[in-house]
Amino acid sequence: MSLAPAIRMRTPRVKISFQGACVSLLIALLVFAALFGPMLAPEAIYRSDILSSLQPPSAAHWLGTDDQGRDVLWRVIVGTRTTLLSAIAIVTAYSLIGVAVATIAASGPRWLDEALMRVTDVGLSLPSMIVALGFAAALGPSLQSAIIAQSITGWPITARILRNVMHQTMEAPFVAGAHVIGVSRWRLMTRHVLPNSLDVLIVKWTSDIGGTVLILSSLSFIGVGAQPPSTEWGAMIAGARGYVSTAWWTVLAPGIALAITSVAFGLLGDMIQAWRDPSLRESR
Amino acid sequence: MSRARSYLWFFAKRLGTVVFALWSLGSLVFLMIKVIPGDEAQIAAGPDASPDQVALVRQRLGLDASVIVQYFRFWGRLLHGDLGTSITTFQPVLLDLERTLPSTLELVVVAMLINLSVSIPAGLIAAARRGGRTDGLFRVLAVILGGMPAFWLALMLQYLLAARYRLLPISGQNSYGMEPPRWTGVPTLDAIAAGNMASLLDALTYIVLPAAVLAVLYSTQIFRALRTSLLGVLESDFIMAVRAKGATERRVLIGHAFPNSINPVLTLAGTQLGAMIGAAVLVETVFARRGIGTYMFNAVAQKDMYAVLGSVLFIGAIVCLINLVVDVLQIVVDPRIRAAQFGRS
Repeated sequence: MSLAPAIRMRTPRVKISFQGACVSLLIALLVFAALFGPMLAPEAIYRSDILSSLQPPSAAHWLGTDDQGRDVLWRVIVGTRTTLLSAIAIVTAYSLIGVAVATIAASGPRWLDEALMRVTDVGLSLPSMIVALGFAAALGPSLQSAIIAQSITGWPITARILRNVMHQTMEAPFVAGAHVIGVSRWRLMTRHVLPNSLDVLIVKWTSDIGGTVLILSSLSFIGVGAQPPSTEWGAMIAGARGYVSTAWWTVLAPGIALAITSVAFGLLGDMIQAWRDPSLRESR
Repeated sequence: MSRARSYLWFFAKRLGTVVFALWSLGSLVFLMIKVIPGDEAQIAAGPDASPDQVALVRQRLGLDASVIVQYFRFWGRLLHGDLGTSITTFQPVLLDLERTLPSTLELVVVAMLINLSVSIPAGLIAAARRGGRTDGLFRVLAVILGGMPAFWLALMLQYLLAARYRLLPISGQNSYGMEPPRWTGVPTLDAIAAGNMASLLDALTYIVLPAAVLAVLYSTQIFRALRTSLLGVLESDFIMAVRAKGATERRVLIGHAFPNSINPVLTLAGTQLGAMIGAAVLVETVFARRGIGTYMFNAVAQKDMYAVLGSVLFIGAIVCLINLVVDVLQIVVDPRIRAAQFGRS
């Protein structure tokens, strides 16, 4: 049982703004595409059909075809699953590392806290995309490598924020109370302080999915991530970049999908933040 | 502790952090070399090397020794500036990087100038018209532009402005025959040094699009930070006093609110500088500028691992040092941060 004061959240009257409606619609579309896209897609998008390559948008192919004659729109839809799942895997993985580092730092002895925070400083001062690029290249260019590389480079911000919040939470009266009744330090940290500190991070994780998708696609574009013919959007752009001057649609569609995803998750993060913190609701 | 001593202590601590960061970076790169699947000597010698050459490389790199010995030898080579030899250019990697760095720095500096000269006026206008239509438009634009992948924007604008409407050159750094004599390796600076106006203009037409693309994401961040900061300052008491004195809105905004809101913006710009060097890698490859990014891109394609990891190390080190300089400059520039660090001054 949590010793935190049992404040029942009053369910706020849901007033759906225009922005909220747009974001929800976009997220719903993305999730739908990720869930059902690969099932609904025609078999032809996995085969090459050179005779119908690089066709401009038409009634048969709404966003045209790529150099292999595959329908661009369907490939973008199918790619949603790869792209979103990879991003979620990355954010989950580095969040777990970040949470572990923060918990150990906040509950361990002072020197350990200090040491872990110095390591976090280093992680923050290095350009994470470049380090991820190095790791992905070393592991051998592939989607898995890019996912691993981003997972091991993404955690410092989470660790830093969470550790600071946990220190604040430890000042709360309920923590002192738990301490008095003899809850062990480790149990206190993992069962009481940590769950009551995760709030801030929910917003960050949501908007991080958008940013992660962009970095993942960047790694693919440089050549260390997913390789063509993968339907990961960055790999699609990398595969199509040679045709941009003759067939712009091959590059346009996956890029727009990327932009939509990153904007939608960024705004979703803002919305969750505004919802959790009413003082932010007045548009600033 | 006296002020002078606390300053010294602060800089020593900062420097310590940077040294620690550089050591970690080097060790990470050593780890990367170790996780590469396959025979390291074969990788260093290149895929086409004969068994004799591979054996020679193995001996030269001391790969038969234990990992710990290898680690110290790795650092020995690193401290002597030996990042290995590229298997595509057959040059020491460090030499290649020194040759390509100026072009990248030029791109980042020009992008930063574009970034600030767009985002600061936009932030001022949005804050002046808070809640108005212009404000709303700018904010929506910032959200949309901030979500676009830079390399994709680069490709699309390259297609539209250069390939389709031929307003700007497609790729490269100079037109054929317009290249100024190499001195710094920065095309625009070299052109100025040579006193060649035509060459300077030529180099500028080549850099404007890549720099603008690189600036987009970062200017949306600066715009938002400045707007938020301005709105906060505009609500403070001293602004009310200035207004009561009868100052015009323009004077309130530019003469009083702006100077008091610029600090968080400059801090952000400082941290952006490091991030922009990383992002420049992506933009450069699209426009085939002869910078580190293009070098790295080619190295990845050729599986030239020493060149790739050497670039990682080099860029990481530069970003670390830039962050140090920005940190220190901030202390020097802003009395409030100085006070927070060292007590009342």
